[in-house]
Amino acid sequence: MAVQPSSSAVRALSLEYRGLQDEPVEGFCVKLLNEDNLFEWEVAIFGPPDTLYQGGYFKAHVKFPPDYPYSPPSVRFLTKVWHPNVYENGDLCISILHPPVDDPQSGELPCERWNPTQNVRTVLLSVISLLNEPNTYSPANVDASVMYRRWRDSKGKDKEYENIIRKQVLSSRGEAERDGVVVPLTQEDYCIKTKVKPDAEPVDMYDFYDDDYDIDDDDDGDDDDDELSENGEAWVGVTEIDDGDDSGNGES
Amino acid sequence: MFSDIKAGDTTPTHNHSSVRDWIVGDACTIHYTVMEQQHNAQESPTKPSEYDPDINQDELIKAQEKQIAEEIKANTAMIGSLDDLSTLEQEYSNDPVYSGKVKTLLPKYCNVRRTRPDGNCFLRGFIFAYLEYCIHHRDELARFKKYLEGSKEELFEMGFPKFTTEDFHDMFMEVVSDLEGSGSVDRVEAVCNDGGTSDYLVVYLRLLISSHLQKNAEFFSFFIEGGRTVEEFCKQEVEPMYRECDHLHIVALTAAVGVGVRVMYLDRGEGAAVASHDFPEDSTPVIHLLYRPGHYDILYNKA
Repeated sequence: MAVQPSSSAVRALSLEYRGLQDEPVEGFCVKLLNEDNLFEWEVAIFGPPDTLYQGGYFKAHVKFPPDYPYSPPSVRFLTKVWHPNVYENGDLCISILHPPVDDPQSGELPCERWNPTQNVRTVLLSVISLLNEPNTYSPANVDASVMYRRWRDSKGKDKEYENIIRKQVLSSRGEAERDGVVVPLTQEDYCIKTKVKPDAEPVDMYDFYDDDYDIDDDDDGDDDDDELSENGEAWVGVTEIDDGDDSGNGES
Repeated sequence: MFSDIKAGDTTPTHNHSSVRDWIVGDACTIHYTVMEQQHNAQESPTKPSEYDPDINQDELIKAQEKQIAEEIKANTAMIGSLDDLSTLEQEYSNDPVYSGKVKTLLPKYCNVRRTRPDGNCFLRGFIFAYLEYCIHHRDELARFKKYLEGSKEELFEMGFPKFTTEDFHDMFMEVVSDLEGSGSVDRVEAVCNDGGTSDYLVVYLRLLISSHLQKNAEFFSFFIEGGRTVEEFCKQEVEPMYRECDHLHIVALTAAVGVGVRVMYLDRGEGAAVASHDFPEDSTPVIHLLYRPGHYDILYNKA
């Protein structure tokens, strides 16, 4: 039975998409897979600095159900990601994306669950933190999980896990270059916020840009304005990615 | 933005078959139905002929649950039409226990409005009945609006994502402002039967409940089963859509919003007496709901 997308879904997704374009969030950028379809996005996640994933550029498809935001989206990596919580086909397994009903992932720690106030921002921020802190209680990739634990328990002496990640990060950087995206490498660059341009297009309908929205304390001030705008470009690099013809070729 | 919604746009005929009403109850009952159906290959188009390790069984169950939910959606309005209470009597003509109890209700109540059994029935019934009450009590609508206005900051403080929470809040305010202007029962009916709007109201009520429970976690922790914290309970049983409301939800919502609700319990208990309970305790109820295991409908007092 084909399910018609609910009006809630269209409302929520257009609001989110617009919000993310006008005010990108640290650590990732987004675009629509196809301009006419709000329900499939391509996202690029930047590996967080000071982790194995630093400099990495991980692309993923995010698919939204017709009854979004009442049900969670699904996330599938297009870039190869060796990680305890990522299946071989790229499907991501994370608690925030699970509906609470009779969770098949028993043994999972009680943590963030999907509810209708969750959104692309909160999901992707959870994914970013999951990269460096896998959940080994319900691994999607058992080999990766075992290897990760060996690495962790040996305090980094057993380098098998680390080597695989570093290799994947390295090869993902080629992809970033092809997309014309500069992946931020330092904590500072990573956390710098793009300023909302004062002359941004008029916002219709909703007044959701409160000044204090999503402000973290990591913004170190504005004395390096040059860098800021440069990075701003990279974030909004969404448009640059748009010009590429790389969409939709992820194997599955 | 509500101008294009007309009352009765989505008023399918209600299915009075009591068997169906019981089987296709709210969310948790759906799961039970799925399991039932999986025993029966003919009825279940998605049932694999034999165990296939390549097929994700969880996905199959989910797909089937979805199908049942879609069926309910297609056949039952979120808020049904105003029916005579005698329709309830007819529904139970073959059931001595229930028909006896319905007879007890008859002197007190005249009408019933059925709600869609999708796990949101309590909240949807509550907000419809309450807004309907507000149409006739403008002071109450003004009070509620003021409460709503203040509730947003409270939810932010509880850590709900601002971006989305604000959207749910704004929609609710829009509805209330709209009713202030041109409010009629038809309008309330239209709003509560418009999927996008109605569900947004339900989500916001869920956030209010969660916030109230967490703010009073010390007290509520004594009533939560399964060794869960109040926060875990909220994440699993309150905030997600389609999760049924239980005693705790009702206590929290009525306390948070300050609205008295009387629930009449129709169950298998002996005798013709119908147990009732007022939330918050000792309040004057402005809304009356009929409870049948797993489901809430709206009752109308005789004037």
